Amino acid sequence: MISDLLSMTVLVGILASGIRLATPYLYAAIGETFGQRSGVLNLGVDGQMLMGAFTAFYVAIKTGNLWLGILSAMVAGALMGLAMAFVTVNLHAEQGISGIGFYLFGLGLSDLLFQKLLGTVETVKGFPKIQIPFLSDIPVVGEIFFRQNVLVYIAFALVPVAWFILNKTTLGLKIRAVGENPEAADSLGVSVARIRYFTIILGGTLSGVAGASMSIALVNVFQQNMTSGLGFIAVALVYFGAWRPWGVLAGALLFSLVNSLQLWIQVLGIPIPSDIAVMMPYILTILVLVATVSRVRAPSALTKPFERGD
Amino acid sequence: MKKFRLLVTVLLLLAVLLGACTTQEPAPAVEEPGAEEPAMEETKEPFRVAVVMPSSINDLAFSQSMYDALLTIQSEMGGEEAMEIVYSDGMFVVDDAAAAIRDYASEGYNLVIAHGSQYGSSLQEIAPDFPETSFAWGTTVDTFGIDNIFAYEAASDQGGYVNGVLAASLSKTGILGVVGPIETGDAKLYVDGFVAGAKATDPTVQVNVNYIGSFSDVALAAEAANTHIAAGADVLTGTAQMVVGAIGVAEESGALWFGTQASQTELAPSIVVANQVYRWDVVLNEIMDLIGEGTFGGTSFVIDLANGGEVLEFNPDFDIPADVAALAEETIAEISGGAVGLQAPKFEDVFQVAVVMPSSINDLAFSQSMYDALVSVQEWMGGEGAMEFVYSDGMFVVDDAAAAIRDYAAEGFDLVIAHGSQYGSSLQEIAPDFPETSFAWGTTVDTFGIGNIFAYEAASHEGGYVNGVIAASLSETGVLGVVGPIETGDAKLYVDGFVAGALATNPDIQVNVNYIGSFSDVALASEAASTHVAAGADGLTGTAQMVVGAIGVAEESGAMWFGTQASQSGLAPANVVANQVYHWDVVLKEVVQMIADGTYGGTSFVIDLANGGEVMDFNADYELPAEVKSLALDTIKGIVDGSITIVFGE
Repeated sequence: MISDLLSMTVLVGILASGIRLATPYLYAAIGETFGQRSGVLNLGVDGQMLMGAFTAFYVAIKTGNLWLGILSAMVAGALMGLAMAFVTVNLHAEQGISGIGFYLFGLGLSDLLFQKLLGTVETVKGFPKIQIPFLSDIPVVGEIFFRQNVLVYIAFALVPVAWFILNKTTLGLKIRAVGENPEAADSLGVSVARIRYFTIILGGTLSGVAGASMSIALVNVFQQNMTSGLGFIAVALVYFGAWRPWGVLAGALLFSLVNSLQLWIQVLGIPIPSDIAVMMPYILTILVLVATVSRVRAPSALTKPFERGD
Repeated sequence: MKKFRLLVTVLLLLAVLLGACTTQEPAPAVEEPGAEEPAMEETKEPFRVAVVMPSSINDLAFSQSMYDALLTIQSEMGGEEAMEIVYSDGMFVVDDAAAAIRDYASEGYNLVIAHGSQYGSSLQEIAPDFPETSFAWGTTVDTFGIDNIFAYEAASDQGGYVNGVLAASLSKTGILGVVGPIETGDAKLYVDGFVAGAKATDPTVQVNVNYIGSFSDVALAAEAANTHIAAGADVLTGTAQMVVGAIGVAEESGALWFGTQASQTELAPSIVVANQVYRWDVVLNEIMDLIGEGTFGGTSFVIDLANGGEVLEFNPDFDIPADVAALAEETIAEISGGAVGLQAPKFEDVFQVAVVMPSSINDLAFSQSMYDALVSVQEWMGGEGAMEFVYSDGMFVVDDAAAAIRDYAAEGFDLVIAHGSQYGSSLQEIAPDFPETSFAWGTTVDTFGIGNIFAYEAASHEGGYVNGVIAASLSETGVLGVVGPIETGDAKLYVDGFVAGALATNPDIQVNVNYIGSFSDVALASEAASTHVAAGADGLTGTAQMVVGAIGVAEESGAMWFGTQASQSGLAPANVVANQVYHWDVVLKEVVQMIADGTYGGTSFVIDLANGGEVMDFNADYELPAEVKSLALDTIKGIVDGSITIVFGE
């Protein structure tokens, strides 16, 4: 039975599943990375994702236009981000608590809108799988990487883009400066408030897309609390990835691949209790986190409100 | 073409009759209402009744039932000199109806009848302005506590039940079709009664119900009937005025028809078997007696088979086999005598229920099954005037749920339902603090030995077994996939039943089971389903609310889907083969009855295929091969009569 795991069907299945499962994590965790690098911990990701998931689903089902769905999910997420930015940057609210508040707000509001506007679970024709010409014909590799829907490709493309912005642009430098030493950045004329507004709204926007990637690309339904805490995993993945986009990618893939591995373990009838199997991704993530956490340091100003001294 | 002609004929007939009746209507009398004393004291003054109705007085349905009743009373009282009747029919616009009601009241009519539950809120505003006028409205039992409003309702489920018994006995295909208007009030009550009667007679009978969303769309009703016929139904019924369209279809295709509200025999004498006819005169007589005694309202009435307000009228031109006729008579006698437990108990105050549920009320699964049951129980008890329920859904955090349960109990709800086995330990702490409140929880059979806790459970392995039998019969790859939440309780029972059914049908079948560790993670459920498909499965099933993610995968990959808890056919009409649907109302009705009798808990209930708490709902859009269908029906029969024992594997 264990040897079944090594068959080509199973390996391809695990990898293709893992890549799909990683998609919403990538959007949400990359967005969260920007926020945390600028010193803001946003625990409202899951709520932003739910709002994005519902908005995209509703707009897509009403207009039939999936891209309009994505756009409205971005707007919904951005608005949630805007509110979060106002509360944490201007009002100096405790970030953890207000993030939880926004999570509950998104959870409740998305459900309310779902009940009032749709009323029942429906399906929508989501983004189709795109077969990249030539590449998708490569045996094994093609099936795993090049027969996915467009939001999967964008999610993975986002990783180098985020790395480039954070490490190779002035904007990235400002973001990192604000997250490490806001006083110094401020004294050099960088507006801490403006940078944090930017990163939190960007994070909200990407969380909105993360939700949309579930509701109109991967699962193609909306249901109350459909993210089921996935946004919190995304926040954990930022720590896991040591606040670097490539690290986040590694974490998202590890978590997702182990998750799809455990699905196959059960399907193949390998005698491991299902409760243990479903714990595997979490256990492994914790182990890796413990092993690696000592070597990196969080942004110094993370969770600290910035008040401009006079 | 034939249908179109029929439609035109019906419409012309209605138009002619409508025209004829309008001319009959007396011109508004010029009177000074202020000068008029209460009419009853002057014997020469006729008793004046005005009625506002949503459809035509000859709709062969709801409005006609009231008009006929008024004519009966008029002739009993001695004709037009003794009783004057005016009516406004076709008042489907509520604002127009409200204006008419106000006009009639200000013209000094003794009794103004607002014959339609949609007129309620208008009446509530108007009635207090005319304390000397008596108002009646229905169908409802709610007088708003206003003492010049009477309310009336029909226990339409009773005749529906009898019709269902007859229909199930007479059907050859074992498929019945129901055309309803909107899933509420009198219509829902009738339909639920019909389904219950049919299922009680033959648990394997399939009742396809179609609510078309309109009381007047005759063409759509005809199409709904066509759909039922195409799905194999050979017996149809329906309620409300638009069903005349459906009766034409029944006649054309030789299907049998069961009527309700008024006698519909004359429309199609060859195929109408029986009608439940409303005799509102039973209520009107009582109302007029009360008005005579100076009581202008405050009472509500229900017509039923026992009080003669509902009469089962058999079509004399239709030959019913003697044994079936006897069964029908027996059923009527049982219902009238209260032996068939359909009659809801009456409580002094509005019976208040609160429910706490882990997911959304429209999750197409566990929570929805309870919500639907509460709606059904509310109808059964007589609407919002008799039973109210509130809910907290999405309570996946147990501590929040516990707080909600305690709050509801403290607020004095009669029955607090904790719909989720995860709430058990909270309930065990809370219930003893509120000995006057009844609690129910599930799914479990454990009442903790606490006297005010009921427990309920579903024998979900039964429907799981039937699904497994069908899946194994249909699978071409010989591989089936199951997506479960956590390996415990209701979910495990269903999954084990499914596996047992599949293996009993084909010992070589491979059933891959996957528990994803979550009730809400739709993305993981979707991936689990993809995994099954990649492993060769062509038939999938799953339980709990997160499976909506898996159904999409079934649809995309062309795999079959088997549902449970609620009907999931609508999500993927081409892929869903069958669903095991929970009807918790079977349990809740017993709970309500026990509370009425003063027992607040201590009993546990199980819904199963035999008691109608679980119903196999075959997707009408999925073409199931005849031999598989009959195997499925035999399996249901076998489980019900005990000849099939479900053996769980190693």
